[in-house]
Amino acid sequence: MQLQSVIDRTVSEIGRVVLGKELQIRLALCCLFARGHLLLEDLPGMGKTTLSHALADVLGLSYQRVQFTSDLLPADILGVSVYDRNEASFTFHPGPIFTQLLLADEINRATPRTQSALLEAMAERQVTIEGQTRKLPEPFFVIATQNPIHQSGTYPLPESQLDRFLMRLQLGYPTPQAEREMLLRQSLDGSLGEALKRCISEQELNQIRQAIAAIHVSDSLLDYLQRLVAYSRESAEFAVGLSPRAALALLNCARAWALMSDRGHVVPEDLQMVLPAVAAHRVVPSADYAGDGMALVLQMQRNVDVIRR
Amino acid sequence: MSVLQQVPRNALVWLIISMFALLIPHLERIPFWVIALYILSATWRFMVHRGRWSFPARSMRLVLVVLSFAGIYFSYGSFLALESTVALLLTAYALKLLELVRRQDAYVLLFLGYFVCTTEFLFSQDLLIVLYSLLNVLLITTALVALHQPAQQVFHFGSLRYAGIMLLQAFPLMLVLFFLFPRIEPLWTVPIKSHAARTGVSDFMRPGDISRLSQSDEVAFRVQFDGEIPPPAELYWRGLVFSRLQDGAWSSIPSYAIPAQERAAPRLETKGEALRYTVLMRPTQQPWLYSLRYARSSDAAVIESADFRLYSSVDLEDQYRYQVNSWPQTVLDQDLSAWRRRSELQLPDDSNPRSRRLAQQMRSNSASDAEFVAEVLAMFRQQPFVYTLQPPLLGEQPMDDFLFNSRRGFCEHYAYAFTLMMRAAGIPARVVAGYQGGEVNPLNRTVIVHQFDAHAWAEVWLEGEGWRRVDPTAAVSPDRIELGLEQAMAAEGSFLSDSPLSPLRYRSISWLNSLRLRYDAMSYRWQSWVVGFDSERQFSLLESVMGRLTAQKFIAVFVGSGLLVLLPTAWLLLRKRRVSATDPIDQLYLSCCQALSAKGLERFSGEAPADFAQRAAQALPHAAEAIESMTKVYSGWVYGPRAEGAESEALRQMRLARTDLIRALSTRSRAAAAPSEAPQG
Repeated sequence: MQLQSVIDRTVSEIGRVVLGKELQIRLALCCLFARGHLLLEDLPGMGKTTLSHALADVLGLSYQRVQFTSDLLPADILGVSVYDRNEASFTFHPGPIFTQLLLADEINRATPRTQSALLEAMAERQVTIEGQTRKLPEPFFVIATQNPIHQSGTYPLPESQLDRFLMRLQLGYPTPQAEREMLLRQSLDGSLGEALKRCISEQELNQIRQAIAAIHVSDSLLDYLQRLVAYSRESAEFAVGLSPRAALALLNCARAWALMSDRGHVVPEDLQMVLPAVAAHRVVPSADYAGDGMALVLQMQRNVDVIRR
Repeated sequence: MSVLQQVPRNALVWLIISMFALLIPHLERIPFWVIALYILSATWRFMVHRGRWSFPARSMRLVLVVLSFAGIYFSYGSFLALESTVALLLTAYALKLLELVRRQDAYVLLFLGYFVCTTEFLFSQDLLIVLYSLLNVLLITTALVALHQPAQQVFHFGSLRYAGIMLLQAFPLMLVLFFLFPRIEPLWTVPIKSHAARTGVSDFMRPGDISRLSQSDEVAFRVQFDGEIPPPAELYWRGLVFSRLQDGAWSSIPSYAIPAQERAAPRLETKGEALRYTVLMRPTQQPWLYSLRYARSSDAAVIESADFRLYSSVDLEDQYRYQVNSWPQTVLDQDLSAWRRRSELQLPDDSNPRSRRLAQQMRSNSASDAEFVAEVLAMFRQQPFVYTLQPPLLGEQPMDDFLFNSRRGFCEHYAYAFTLMMRAAGIPARVVAGYQGGEVNPLNRTVIVHQFDAHAWAEVWLEGEGWRRVDPTAAVSPDRIELGLEQAMAAEGSFLSDSPLSPLRYRSISWLNSLRLRYDAMSYRWQSWVVGFDSERQFSLLESVMGRLTAQKFIAVFVGSGLLVLLPTAWLLLRKRRVSATDPIDQLYLSCCQALSAKGLERFSGEAPADFAQRAAQALPHAAEAIESMTKVYSGWVYGPRAEGAESEALRQMRLARTDLIRALSTRSRAAAAPSEAPQG
């Protein structure tokens, strides 16, 4: 299939700068193909910015980066109307959000007011300023990064807003080989020195999205998905289970993953591959549960039988 | 301590509940401070669970142990009696709760709980106690179930249901063990009941003894007649014959004082029709048995005595059941031996002079012995004698005081006075003690004889007639004999006045009475068929079913019936665990998984087919192809797009794939087996 080779090429292209992280690259692509926003959560210096930059490059998208700080205001992102003396009227100066791929760096450093301005725009894919609604460009992706929330001076995102991110990814430390390669190739200016080629045209991106919508989902798979969701709602270990939106997100991502695996239908493995990234940030473990959301989701995956009995 | 080691909250709550439930039946036997100790331990442990308090220090625990030992010693005065041993066990059980830190401690506590549960049977094997113990077993099992739940599981009743299902599954096995497990004699015997009070009629009688017994509503024994039940006035249950009056008390002649030729019970010629009945005695710690006049038993352990009583060769530690034939019309002792005549006439020289003078005077005025008997009875009837449960205390010469002063007495006073007068007048006479009457339970046609039916009457020996039963109480209070003690005491209101809650006091409330009788009928059946199912009955039951009993036969039947009841349960459990998938293709897939799990490859519940296939193919490379193609067929049908009407084709392919898989798996096992055979060949 032609799309397949496009996707594989994209993955290997990004892999040239983000070394040894093929699974995370694929998941990030999967998230974008499924029209979702991505939250990268990791310690500083793990390659979050590099990955998002590379994604913008290979998709050929216009790219803006906003560094979130505690004094950032909504207008700094959305844009502002300024009085033009020559024209004797207000003209709108669009903010950095009017781009195809927005990198919101350290989103949890901004105040909740600014966070929610961004998150609203993410959900609606449009911005309303001074009574005027302006469409955001198509496609529109947000890649937000955040440091683990227990650092001081941060405003953790509430659960309701975490839910707007289709996936949350953690990059983790590279393997020793990948790190060695990175150290060897490191140039003096600090970049890996490679300009990435654009691999996917806008038309191909549309094709991919159409193809994802056409992926077959069987009753058995929906059963499995519903059993997972029901488990999260019934088990005593969950304080907050998976919402219907989460179920939809799981299905969309599983579809995208099936396409990326060159399959015309979704199998349980697809669902299981995307499950931790899609579900872990949406659940809240009960107070008694010893682990975090990721552990809980993995436990759920172990406990729910794939085959109906 | 890891989370795995923690005792779940649910288990802790059930454990504490079961501990208190286990304590309840012992309440009447334990001192108050043991209850306080239970409450203390439970509170302490619960506060530890809530994180408010910490576990007691070692020194504190030591102090508690020493205090408990001392407490037991002071409360009971000994460590060796049954009650104190059980109290010691219960105390230790409560203290163990303070050492409940990890899961394994909880196991110790729970298994100890099952043991504590059985100690209740040392005291009572009543039907209600057994039902209550079943409840206790359920509670302990619930705690055991709860112990296997996650540590953060809060208290809930679901565990109770689960434990109930488990017990129900165990029920058939319990029946098999009950009927078939050999009742092995204990390897050592413990003087279990040494401190228990002896109940019932005792082997000597002073005025006041039997009226004291009449305050008890306990069941003495139950009788089941084969035929018609005689009227209550005829039911004189003879237990003891008192022929010797010494120091103001009547007693039997001890066997060493009886000459050898007088000891054997004479074989009398029976008269009239026999009454056939079975007596189920409650444990009395005494050897004598109760029967109607002139009784013989076919039971080898039942001995007949020369004064026509029955007794057992050993004290009745447990309930005892025996069969009796009685011929009430039989003449007892047509001729009286010289020794017997002498001993039935003996009186202490200096006692009750006024009564003896009165007797001699009355005898000289009457024509015959029989007439004298009638006159004495008439005296009781005509003079203002009162039958009462609250007789006054009598002085130095008790019968003089009774006959001429107080004239208020219970049956033993009348029997004493009557026998005294007979002997004084030269007529052989003796006191007989036992029970009179009984309550007929119409539900199962048994006669229930209570302790308050205890009675004493007299027998006089008349020329040509032998021993004649004379009941002077009947002359004073005919109601006692015709209607029972309750009616006789209706005016006085003293019937069971010490036990206001006894159900027997409420016999006038008809539904309550019928409930009581119904329970008694059930209790009779329980006592005679379940508690009374001893090794002898077990043997006779087994022999009646399968003829002569050999060891092989017994083991075969034992194991066989064990399997017979376990197999259906096992089958049900396995079936539930196995395939319950509704979709036939899911079933086929799961059966393939079973074939693989037989090779040691278990699919985890969260493992998707392709992942499992990959793992299986790596582990079993020779069958890799079959595994993959099977998975492909399955996965393709279940998750892929389906063509209309392709189901049968998919099923067929899946069956083929399964056959291939099983063949591939078995080839390997043959191939693997081959090399090991080669060196042997």
